[in-house]
Amino acid sequence: MAEPILEIRNLKTGFVTESGIVKALDGVSITIEKGQVVCLVGESGSGKSVTSLNVMRLSDYDGGIVLEGEILFHGEDLVKKSQEDMRKIRGSKIAMIFQEPMNALNPVFTVGDQIAETLRLHKGMSKEEAQRKAVEMLRKVGIPEPEIRAKQYPHEMSGGMCQRVVIAMALVCRPELVIADEPTTALDVTVQAQILDLLRELQSELHTSILLITHDMGVAAEMADRIAVMYAGTIVEEGTVEEIFSQPHHPYTIGLLNSIPGFEGQRGTELYTIKGSIPSLANLPTGCRFHPRCPFATDKCRAEEPSLLEIGSGRRAACWYAEEVALKAKEQGAVIVSGKGE
Amino acid sequence: MTEYLIRRAVQSVLVLFLVSVISFALMHAAPGGPLMVMLPKGGSQQAILAQEKNAGLLDPMPIQYLHWLGQLLHGNLGYTYKNHVPVGQILWPTVGNTLILMGVAWVLSLLIAIPWGIYNSTRTYGISDNISTVLAYLGFAMPAFWFGILLQEFLSLDLNWFPLSDMYSMNKQGNIGDLIWHLILPVCVLVLVFLASYLKYSRASMLEVLHMDYVRTARAKGAPEKHVIYRHALRNALIPIITVLGLDLPNLVSGAALTENVFNWPGMGRLFVEMAFAREYAVLMAITMLGAVFVVIGNLLADILYAIVDPRVQLGKKGGTAA
Repeated sequence: MAEPILEIRNLKTGFVTESGIVKALDGVSITIEKGQVVCLVGESGSGKSVTSLNVMRLSDYDGGIVLEGEILFHGEDLVKKSQEDMRKIRGSKIAMIFQEPMNALNPVFTVGDQIAETLRLHKGMSKEEAQRKAVEMLRKVGIPEPEIRAKQYPHEMSGGMCQRVVIAMALVCRPELVIADEPTTALDVTVQAQILDLLRELQSELHTSILLITHDMGVAAEMADRIAVMYAGTIVEEGTVEEIFSQPHHPYTIGLLNSIPGFEGQRGTELYTIKGSIPSLANLPTGCRFHPRCPFATDKCRAEEPSLLEIGSGRRAACWYAEEVALKAKEQGAVIVSGKGE
Repeated sequence: MTEYLIRRAVQSVLVLFLVSVISFALMHAAPGGPLMVMLPKGGSQQAILAQEKNAGLLDPMPIQYLHWLGQLLHGNLGYTYKNHVPVGQILWPTVGNTLILMGVAWVLSLLIAIPWGIYNSTRTYGISDNISTVLAYLGFAMPAFWFGILLQEFLSLDLNWFPLSDMYSMNKQGNIGDLIWHLILPVCVLVLVFLASYLKYSRASMLEVLHMDYVRTARAKGAPEKHVIYRHALRNALIPIITVLGLDLPNLVSGAALTENVFNWPGMGRLFVEMAFAREYAVLMAITMLGAVFVVIGNLLADILYAIVDPRVQLGKKGGTAA
C-alpha cells in the first residue's frame, strides 16, 4: 500500500452563528494515497464542499470551526496549523479548483497575472519569469495562443476556458494534492468531458493526488480510483470505483446509482428519485440518519446508529444490513453495472 | 477613446445649454427683481421701471437670455446691478476659497473613510465598526449648521481654542498657518457629513466583495490576508465607490452654503445665498453654470476612472458590461 498523503480522521466541524454552533460535518474519515483520485459523492447539503474547505482551512473565514478530529497531511495535523502556516501550504502543496470558474477568477486582473501570482507567492519568481511560466502553463492546459490569452481578462473567455485557467492556476506550483470542488458542474456537457480528460492527463503526468467532489456518479465513475459516499455530514460507504458500482452495500449508494438516467429507460417513465430530502444536522433523525428515506429500514435502524464498519479490505459501509442490502440489490438487478456516465 | 471623449464633450455642451435655459427662466420667473431690492424702500414705481428698462430687465425673456448667452460666449459673465461690478471679480476669489475648504474636507474624509471602512468590513460589529456606525448616524441626522454652531459655542467661545469664524484673522491675510487654524472647525463639520456616507459605502462595498468567489480563490492560492484585501478585494470594491465620488464632485463648489454661512467663510455657497437675496441674476447664473460644469466633469471623470479600474468597462464600445 502506498503512503497516504491525506488522512482525514473523524472530522467534526461546525459554523459559529448567532444562535450557537451549527454542525456541518459529523465524523468524516477519508484517506487519499499518493497519485490516487478519490471522489466524494453525495447530494447537495451532504457536506462535500465543507469537507474540502476544511482541508484548506478556508472555512475559518466563514466562521467555521473544527470540533473534533484531525486532518493529517503527510502526517502533520492541518487543524493545529496557524493560518500563516496554512498560507504556505495553500497553492503550493494543496491547491483547489472551484465550482464556477467565471466567478472564481478575479475580474480586474488578467489571467496571466492571476496564474503568475501563485508562482510569485510561493516560488519567489520575478515578474517576467512568472509570466513566462504562466504562459507555459496555459499552453499545457490546452489554451490556444497562450501568449495572447495570458493578457486577457476572465470576461473575455468562455466558461470552459476559464476552468482551464483555474486548473492552470491550481497546478502551476505542482501541488501534491488538488481538491476539485465540482469542477465541471457549471459547464456544458462537451466541455465537461474535455475538462475531465484534461484533469486526468495532468494527474497522470504530474502524479498529483486528487480529491474530486461531485454529485454526478457519472463523473465519479470516469475519474475515481476510490469513491466515498457522503450523507448528512458523514461517510456512509467507501470502496473502489468497481466495488461501489458493482456491489453497493448501502441503500443510499444504491439510490444514487439508480438515480442516474440511463439510455434504456423509456421516455415518459419517471426518473428514479430517493424519496424525501437530506436532513439538516441540527435535527438528525434518531438511529441511522438515512432511515426515514430507506426502503430497508427496520426498528433497529430507527433506534441505533450504525458506525462505518470494515466490510472488506479498504471497503467500509455504515449500514446494519450491509450484506443483505448488497444481495438484494444484486437480485433486483437495479444497479447499473457499467460505470460510464455520459 | 478620443471618439468617445468628443462625443461626451458634444453631449456636455448640450446639457449645459439646457441647464442654462431652464435656470435662467426659473430665476427670472421668481417674483421680485434686483432693483426692487436695491432701491430704497418707498421709492416710486416709476423710478424702478425706469431703472429696470435701463438695465435691460424689461426686454422679453428670450432676448435677455440671448444677450446673456452672447456675452457668456465672449467670456463675459456680466455685471452686478448694484455698483456694476464684473461678476468674475467677485466670483473667482470665492471659488478658490470654497475649493480650499471643501477640497481639504473631501480629501481628509476619503483618507479616513476608505481605510476605516475596509478595516470595519473585516471586523463587522466590532468596537471600531460600532463607533463608525454612531458617527454615520450623527453625520446623517444632525444638521451640519447646528453641529457647526455647537463647535463654535464650546471650542471657540468657551474654550477659545479655535477662531469663531472667517478665513483669516485681521491683518493675517494669506498666512498659511492662520488659514489652517481657521479651517479646522468648518472642516470638522464637513468631514462628519462626508464621512457618514463614505464610511458606509466603503464598508458595504468591501463586504460585498469579500464574499465573492475570487476572494476565496485568492486565499486558496496562499495569498496573505493583506494581499487578499488590498489587491484582490479593494480593486473591485472601488468600482461602486468611484460612482459616488463622481456624483459628489460638484459638491466641492456648491455644497457648503450652510457651513460657509455659519463660519462666515467667504466662499461660493455664501455668495450664492447673498446674491439670491439681492436677485443678482448674473452672479446666480454664473454660479449655477459653474455647478453644472462640475456635474458634467464629475460624471465624465467617474466614467473614465471606471474604465481604468474595471477592464469589463470599455468606453465608447457597445457590449461593454458595467459591473
